[in-house]
Amino acid sequence: MPHYIPILTLLLAAVGMWLMLPRGGARGRGLGMVLTATAIGLGTSRLPWLGPWTAEAVFLVLAAVTIVSALGAVTFHNPVYCAIWFGQSLLGTAGLFLVAGAQFLAVATVVIYAGAILVTFLFVLMLAQPKGRAAYDRVSWEAPIAAAAGVVMVGILSITIGGAFSHPIVPPTEAALAAGVLAPQHVAGFGGQLFGRHLIAIEVAGMLLLVALVGAAVIVQHKEPNG
Amino acid sequence: MPDEIALLNGYLIVGALLFGIGMIGFLSRRNMIVMFLSAEIMLQGVSLSLVAWSRFHNDFGGQMLVLFIIAVAACEAAIALALVVALFRRRGNLDVAAWRVLREANQPPPSDALLPEEPPDQAESWPHLAPAGVQPETLPEETEYRPRV
Repeated sequence: MPHYIPILTLLLAAVGMWLMLPRGGARGRGLGMVLTATAIGLGTSRLPWLGPWTAEAVFLVLAAVTIVSALGAVTFHNPVYCAIWFGQSLLGTAGLFLVAGAQFLAVATVVIYAGAILVTFLFVLMLAQPKGRAAYDRVSWEAPIAAAAGVVMVGILSITIGGAFSHPIVPPTEAALAAGVLAPQHVAGFGGQLFGRHLIAIEVAGMLLLVALVGAAVIVQHKEPNG
Repeated sequence: MPDEIALLNGYLIVGALLFGIGMIGFLSRRNMIVMFLSAEIMLQGVSLSLVAWSRFHNDFGGQMLVLFIIAVAACEAAIALALVVALFRRRGNLDVAAWRVLREANQPPPSDALLPEEPPDQAESWPHLAPAGVQPETLPEETEYRPRV
């Protein structure tokens, strides 16, 4: 494998992201999509094979849905479309959670994120939508620098991840997984851990939700200017 | 069963990509709501990595952390959207550049100009429906006082 391919991948991704971000016009968005897709394809070709082709296909489809939807959420001009793409990205993430054995978290992601948080986003968008297409949706802050920063971040993370796999690490055995995270009574084990070992943390999280609720109500209440 | 090391590698790479995409969006977008969507995408990337490590170590700790991430994200969304609504009431738009007065005293303002708002396209008109039915009769006193509505 030549050494310039990772650098070429990152360069293609940076230029593609810069072209895809809103820059006041639609010039070059198609080229940006092609460059970013090429970079993602090059990066995917370097991933190790999962083994059975069904597992590989499921993982690749879910990862593609997640990544492409996240790209759409970041680059679309209309914030309503951004929210819809974000919802699709959440569905892909929930599928990946399910593949990794986190059944409860997959359902919780769909219910809480896509069901509550996303609807709140859309609700605020409806409250605060300007009449036409706003200027601040059509231009970005320093799109090339932001794209370069994000791509450098991904590159550093990839190098770190690759370094973690250069040491000999021991994968879990199939029997241990079937008795632990991937057990049929997964949610029972999850709840046992949650209300046993993490009992104080779950109480603090409930308190935090209550405080956030009261805080949001206080922040958003409408005061009359001379009241 | 898939190869566990390859599966962990793939999940970590997807998590890193989600984190980078969210970071690009948070740095470059100017709509406050899209910035918060980007922050949520970054949280999703971290959650994906934690779930992958949870499977690899056969331990529920990573999944617990993801559950608390979801709880904190719900709190964050509530507070942040309340703040966005309050800020929208003060300035009338969702642009972060409208709050450039919040910079430090000796800092120059961001050089980006505030562009005027673009009118909607003419193509975005409502569909024309053929008139159907008859107009209901209205009593003259119902125009001042309508008991049924």
